[in-house]
Amino acid sequence: MASFKPTKIQVYPKLGEKVTQDTLYWKNYKAPVQIKEFGAVTSIDFSPVTPHNFAVTAFTRIHIYGPFSQEPVKSFTRFKDTAYCGRFRSDGQLLVAGCEDSVVRLFDVSGKVALRLFKGHTKAVHLTDFTSDRYQILTGSDDYTCRLWDIPNATELTTYREHTDYIRCGVTSKLNRDLFITGSYDHTVKLFDARVEKSVITMDHGQPVESVLLYPSEGLLVSAGGRHVKVWDLLKGGQPLVSLKNHHKTVTSLALSSNGQRLLSASLDRHVKVYSTTNYKVVHNFDYAASILSLALAPDDESIVVGMTNSILSIKHRKNQEDSKEIAGQQRRRPSYRVFVKGKNYVPKQDDYLVSKPVKEHLAKYDKQLRRFNVSKALDTALETWIRFRKPEITMAVIKELDRRGTLKNALAGRDERGLSQLLNFLIGNFVDARFTPVLVTAAEMILDIYQSIIGQSPLVDRQLLRLQDLVEKELDYQKELLEVLGMLDTMFASSLPRKEVPSPTVDHFPTCSLNTDS
Amino acid sequence: MAADGGSSSLQLPCVFSPKSRQFLALCAQDGRLRIWNTDSKTLHQEYVPSAHLSATCTCIAWGPCRTVKEGPQRKKRKSEAVQVEEKADLLAMGTAAGTVLIYSTAKGALHCTLDGAHSGGVNCVQWHPEESLLYSGSDDTNIVEWDLQTGKTRSKWKADRAAVTSLCVSPDGKLLLSAGHIIKMWDLDTKEVYRKFTGHSTAVTTLRFATTRPPDSNGLYFLSGAAHDRLLSVWQVREDGKDKNSVVSFTLTDEPQHIDLVTSNSKEEAVRLAVVCKDGQLHLFEHFLNGPCKKPLSPSCTVQMSDTKESPMPIPLLAAVLGADTRTVMLAYGSHLQPVMEKVVSLLKETEIHDVKTPIVNAKSKVLVPGLPGHQAPLKGTSQGSEKRKKDTDTKEMSIAERLGEIDLSTISEKGASKGTASLQTDNFAVLLVQGLESNDASILNKVFQTRKDMVIKKTVARLPLSAVLPLVEEVTYTFVLSYRASLMVRWLKAVLMHHTSYLASLPDLVTQLGVLYHVIESRVKMFHKLTKLHGKLYLLMTQVSANICSAECEASFKSVFEDYSLTSQELSLSHKERMSLSSPHFCSYTPGSCEKSLHVVSKHLMTALRAPGDRFCKTELDFVLFSV
Repeated sequence: MASFKPTKIQVYPKLGEKVTQDTLYWKNYKAPVQIKEFGAVTSIDFSPVTPHNFAVTAFTRIHIYGPFSQEPVKSFTRFKDTAYCGRFRSDGQLLVAGCEDSVVRLFDVSGKVALRLFKGHTKAVHLTDFTSDRYQILTGSDDYTCRLWDIPNATELTTYREHTDYIRCGVTSKLNRDLFITGSYDHTVKLFDARVEKSVITMDHGQPVESVLLYPSEGLLVSAGGRHVKVWDLLKGGQPLVSLKNHHKTVTSLALSSNGQRLLSASLDRHVKVYSTTNYKVVHNFDYAASILSLALAPDDESIVVGMTNSILSIKHRKNQEDSKEIAGQQRRRPSYRVFVKGKNYVPKQDDYLVSKPVKEHLAKYDKQLRRFNVSKALDTALETWIRFRKPEITMAVIKELDRRGTLKNALAGRDERGLSQLLNFLIGNFVDARFTPVLVTAAEMILDIYQSIIGQSPLVDRQLLRLQDLVEKELDYQKELLEVLGMLDTMFASSLPRKEVPSPTVDHFPTCSLNTDS
Repeated sequence: MAADGGSSSLQLPCVFSPKSRQFLALCAQDGRLRIWNTDSKTLHQEYVPSAHLSATCTCIAWGPCRTVKEGPQRKKRKSEAVQVEEKADLLAMGTAAGTVLIYSTAKGALHCTLDGAHSGGVNCVQWHPEESLLYSGSDDTNIVEWDLQTGKTRSKWKADRAAVTSLCVSPDGKLLLSAGHIIKMWDLDTKEVYRKFTGHSTAVTTLRFATTRPPDSNGLYFLSGAAHDRLLSVWQVREDGKDKNSVVSFTLTDEPQHIDLVTSNSKEEAVRLAVVCKDGQLHLFEHFLNGPCKKPLSPSCTVQMSDTKESPMPIPLLAAVLGADTRTVMLAYGSHLQPVMEKVVSLLKETEIHDVKTPIVNAKSKVLVPGLPGHQAPLKGTSQGSEKRKKDTDTKEMSIAERLGEIDLSTISEKGASKGTASLQTDNFAVLLVQGLESNDASILNKVFQTRKDMVIKKTVARLPLSAVLPLVEEVTYTFVLSYRASLMVRWLKAVLMHHTSYLASLPDLVTQLGVLYHVIESRVKMFHKLTKLHGKLYLLMTQVSANICSAECEASFKSVFEDYSLTSQELSLSHKERMSLSSPHFCSYTPGSCEKSLHVVSKHLMTALRAPGDRFCKTELDFVLFSV
């Protein structure tokens, strides 16, 4: 006996953004924790050692937050004026910060008062960093100089006066204790070697440089300034590799995701863009509420921290996969393992006669009704509220199946006011969807044919029909315009096509034509 | 750079005159001092300091009200000595160059200039309540006491290690509060420090005495607010000197910008306080100052102005003062160039009942043009008016003709402004669109694509640089696929195709670029034929319904006329034929509109007749008629 074939639900292509591995990865963050700071958050730095606290520089303070607390675990407030660029040393023990009053302060992370004061700059210091040997400090200032300082006796070692404008960013090499890079408002990025007096490489960024970043391998350098993010090859002597322009306002901050596969750039246009470092295409985009000044990622991308001009610090933590699994496990207890595998791994012997268990067919409700030829009821079940709103394609498939059987008219007929209005509701809701229109038009025509005698009796149905009419009218206007556009496109295609294909056909066709005329 | 945006926030001075609150003195971004009359809501005087661009005005203070005859400047203006009414007259302005200008509103001109004592910019000026003395604090860490009789410095002393940012003279004129890093209380007779108060980590911007009791009675309170601080602290001057910490604090939503308070004279009287914050909100407090209170106090009422559009935008408040009776508050809001002043009466009364936010919607808000890039437009009218008035300063009232002239000017300038913004809009749209396409910013693109004005769309597309055309087409294709905003996008697509035809046609890979779009549209249009038919059906049926209602009255007459059903139907088919023949020219014409119309006429006629007898035969007849159509 031929078995009943369940209704085939057509799978429509999903609309909207393509879901890639990246979107899944970057969307897997919890709702952001927002903390109001005292002023614009200019710098965020993660401690290299666990538990990976991070220092947030905002206005005259530096707050250190723990990985999960929303209150600062520590704060440094001994600044006379706006503080800048609080950075941890590679052992996470010391913190250095510049200040508007040109003094650089070195703090013990557990202490409160500055351990050392480095005085020598004449203007605000926006760049501070430790060298990789941990005993020196690099600073860059608005007085156009960058300096190296010795930590133990707080003395100045060298001064470099090569930049011709404010120095606002820089980074030290993590592999070589003598190399460091500074970016300045004079549009250049310079690589310095402490063993020689002068800069080694100069790269012209083209805009005031706001942020620089070294790849972990330190072969590539990323600079951000103006609306551009540029990648430079240091091993080739500072050749430009890529120039990215995906922001419409100044890019202020850069970060690398921990495995070095993704580059993040934050900008005053309130976006954080994620680039793939293999092809430098944007793979994801975050939106924030205000212009972003600073951005940092925790090791292993555990959290994304963003500081904004409206003095709000936004922290996004990665969703913990184990958590969600545990919750699911608690909700539903499965039978024990033994029950589950009972008889499953029995291997039949060669002369055993196998009796296969008939596979029980599970049919959806509407399919059950369809099998019994209860077409009206089948349509009713397909029109149930949940299906109607969540899975309109199921309703569509049932209507289509009924139409194929030629029983759609029967199914639609004989409805009371409530049933009819439900049906019309569905029509109105999905009519303009291009995927559903062909089926729904036939259904709508049938409904009108069947129910035309009762039109005018129920105000509810009348109202819905008016709405439907309205909808159809709008759709028609729209399609008329679309047809015009199609005409335009046709003209354009026609005008562009000959130019492409003319050369070969002219040669081929002319002889054949002449041949035809001859014959 | 945007990174130091927090520290350099310039606050524009904005002060109401004391007691009668007749004037509002405002120093706007352009460096001019404007004095507005709060009664007539008009510009009273405008004064442009000679060095208004280099030495901008940093602070303003009104001198105490006085009957003009006892003023020190009386001898110069003998003609005006007739006035006995107490009036706010003198206005002290501190400038960034270190000078103090004294401006007289009675004269409408500069009264005198005090200079030579400060080497840094003046941060604050304060008048002595009784004697004709003026105190100014400056960036050079000094406080100077000026004698206005002579126009010379009386004394000068170093007050702090840091710049003196705020001053306040006690109501009895014996004490002076100054604030640099530390708040200090000075005895004005000896110029010695009486008390010190520490606690603020940033520059103190506001100091006010809250009570009028003598310092050694444990009843003297003052309050202070600092930059970037969302608190107002109240300090008690205690007899035993144990006044290390603030006793009470008021919470605010942002840094305080303008403060007004009504001092209390006894313990039973509450201090009323109105604070306008930097975010443009007004907070009202009422508190009995009688000792410490650990919890920060929240406002008894918060006011945020908004305009009356569909989606209200907040209008920032500039200043607010408390009226003499408990229920009135005078507000100034809008832009510094053209503030709107208003007296709000029922404010406090409402809060007594509800204690909730009361957003006040004001009808006048349309006058404001917030965020207008060039401020020439609203300025022109007022500045011209003020020049006129300067010539005859002694007549306080404007003539009718002048007033009319000013109204005319202002309306013209408003029109000009609105025109200006409209033309700016399209330009902005092109820029916005390019920006949105560049960074793929959903909110910007949404904003741009939501315009319904064809002109705007055309202009925007016309101004679009070529490099942005293809991204725009891609974006449009994308929204077409999504289809929920598609109807608006057609216009954009049309505009693009129209304006950049040659560019698009010149693309070598045009077919691949636009192929997707073509297919999307094609699949959508496929149903056009069927849909049109359905629409016709619906239209017909729905007109029946509407016709039905109006034909209800005719029903009876039909019944009486058509007694024989078959006859009726014959009649009907006849009439139908008649109609058909009548309307045949309409049917021949191809325009669907007229076709529908004639069909409508026929069907209406038929149906009104048919409804009456309700005959089955008639119905089939009608069906036939309809299908034949």
